[in-house]
Amino acid sequence: MILDVNAYLGHFAFRQLQHNTAASLLQLMDAKRIDKAIVSSASAITYRNAQAGNEELAAEVKDHRDRLIPFAVINPFYAGWQDDLKICHEDFGMSGLRLYPKWHNYRLSDRCCLDLVNAATERGMVISVPIRVEDKRQRSWLVDVPDVPLDELAALVKACPKARFVLLNGLGYAKLPLGHKDNGLPVNYLIEISRLSALLDNEIGQLIASLGAERLVLGTGMPFSYPDPALLKLEVLAASKEDKEKIGWQNIAQWLRL
Amino acid sequence: MHWTSLIRRPRVTRRTFLKHSVTVSVALGIMAGRAASREESGQPVGGTDSGPRGQTKVIDCHAHLNHRSRSTWEADDCKLIKAADNLGIDQLCCSILTRSQPATADGFRECNQWMAEAMRRFPGRVLGYCYVNPGYGQEALEEIRRCIEGRGFVGVKLYNEYTCTEPVVFPTVELAIELGVPILHHAGHAHYFPEEQPRISDGGHLAELARRYPQAMLICAHVCGGGDWEWTIKALRGAPSVLLDTSGSVTDEGVVEMAAQVLGVDRLVFGCDMSMTAAVGRIRAANLSVPDKEKILGGNLAKLLRRRKS
Repeated sequence: MILDVNAYLGHFAFRQLQHNTAASLLQLMDAKRIDKAIVSSASAITYRNAQAGNEELAAEVKDHRDRLIPFAVINPFYAGWQDDLKICHEDFGMSGLRLYPKWHNYRLSDRCCLDLVNAATERGMVISVPIRVEDKRQRSWLVDVPDVPLDELAALVKACPKARFVLLNGLGYAKLPLGHKDNGLPVNYLIEISRLSALLDNEIGQLIASLGAERLVLGTGMPFSYPDPALLKLEVLAASKEDKEKIGWQNIAQWLRL
Repeated sequence: MHWTSLIRRPRVTRRTFLKHSVTVSVALGIMAGRAASREESGQPVGGTDSGPRGQTKVIDCHAHLNHRSRSTWEADDCKLIKAADNLGIDQLCCSILTRSQPATADGFRECNQWMAEAMRRFPGRVLGYCYVNPGYGQEALEEIRRCIEGRGFVGVKLYNEYTCTEPVVFPTVELAIELGVPILHHAGHAHYFPEEQPRISDGGHLAELARRYPQAMLICAHVCGGGDWEWTIKALRGAPSVLLDTSGSVTDEGVVEMAAQVLGVDRLVFGCDMSMTAAVGRIRAANLSVPDKEKILGGNLAKLLRRRKS
């Protein structure tokens, strides 16, 4: 079983994506033997009204809910986010969020963001935060969106101990409190491995040693990224079969009650 | 960890690769098959023109060993070899860079000395690039000649001391042509001014250099770690003598397929630049035929290295 916590449908403003419809993504998942994937709208990253992306996503995954698990993109600085959250959860059956504080121009410490996190938590939703969408060296001339600093994420997980977070597309945790044992932070976050090393520095191995395999999850970033690099990390990782199963699907399945 | 303690026993076997995918198994077999055959035979890698069972070797065209100011340099070098073992990479074309740029002549000579020692530590496994700063003129040229002719290095590594179209670089290119060796040139293209690398070359510069020196064997480094890869691929379209190194940490889907479509697979060379799983994963994923992947993984570079004149 493979459950990918980091997948997308729709369009990205600055690069053409392949495999960005439900049908084509499922075809890719079949080829890579990925059983299920958490998907959100790539279009919603740059739509002013992110809810339009959530509506597109809901329609796209409607007939594929056995394999595609939709998460909503909500901008808490945009009018009507409370209504959007309600619709995404109750009508669209979305069980989690993706937040883009840098793309949507708010701070994780802003009151509105904390309100969104708390409201989603009350609904039992999981909150994922992509640290980046694409490598900053290839950014368009139109935008200069920084990565989400890991210390801001550490502050958020501390401020919202009842919330459950999945941190996507990041690296460098092992050198920071987020990756340390006994770090004074709640045990309320999972770290996705797509940008972590499994060889050389082996940050995945370091995090297993410090936090435990229970705190890591597999994500590929498809279709922004090829899925194979992340899958290959899990293959070559020096870890037990049991730990790989936890990372590959069990940890997130437990959170989502799958 | 001492280098003699390394066990060349790849962990990625054909079986473990294949269990994940039937449809991509053909592509995986290129690398995993080699790993499996080494595992079965217990043979070390390197020292011959082809891999086990006559397969084309997998050659990483862009790797680095560690500067010895790093306290863990020896163990870290061994980790690279072990990672290559795990991934089924037969040979690594390496350079050692000075800690900061611009490199001094003493600095690049020291790095190349260490590189020569590494080639003896990992015979047939590690192939050396001679790193120089072309600004040192005759000293740089003498170092290249010493490394290529005297020490068996396979090519030249140029970094960001000068944009490759600056005349100060031309004698280095002319010497590489004379010796019949490639130049791996650091490159990247961003849509903002790279303050930290004001003289970085990009695909357009390398294309211009190739028009001036069509006999030169130029490799444009790390398309997946050099900014806008779509720009780079398009900039190289009209420069048929420039090869493109697929290395880098960016795992964007479609880069290998676009490069193959625009440039042709004969112009692509596999590299990691230390992003090991990203590099292998993108080739594994690419929607290309097995013969095309064989070319990228080692065939094209092996062909280039055979053009050596000394």
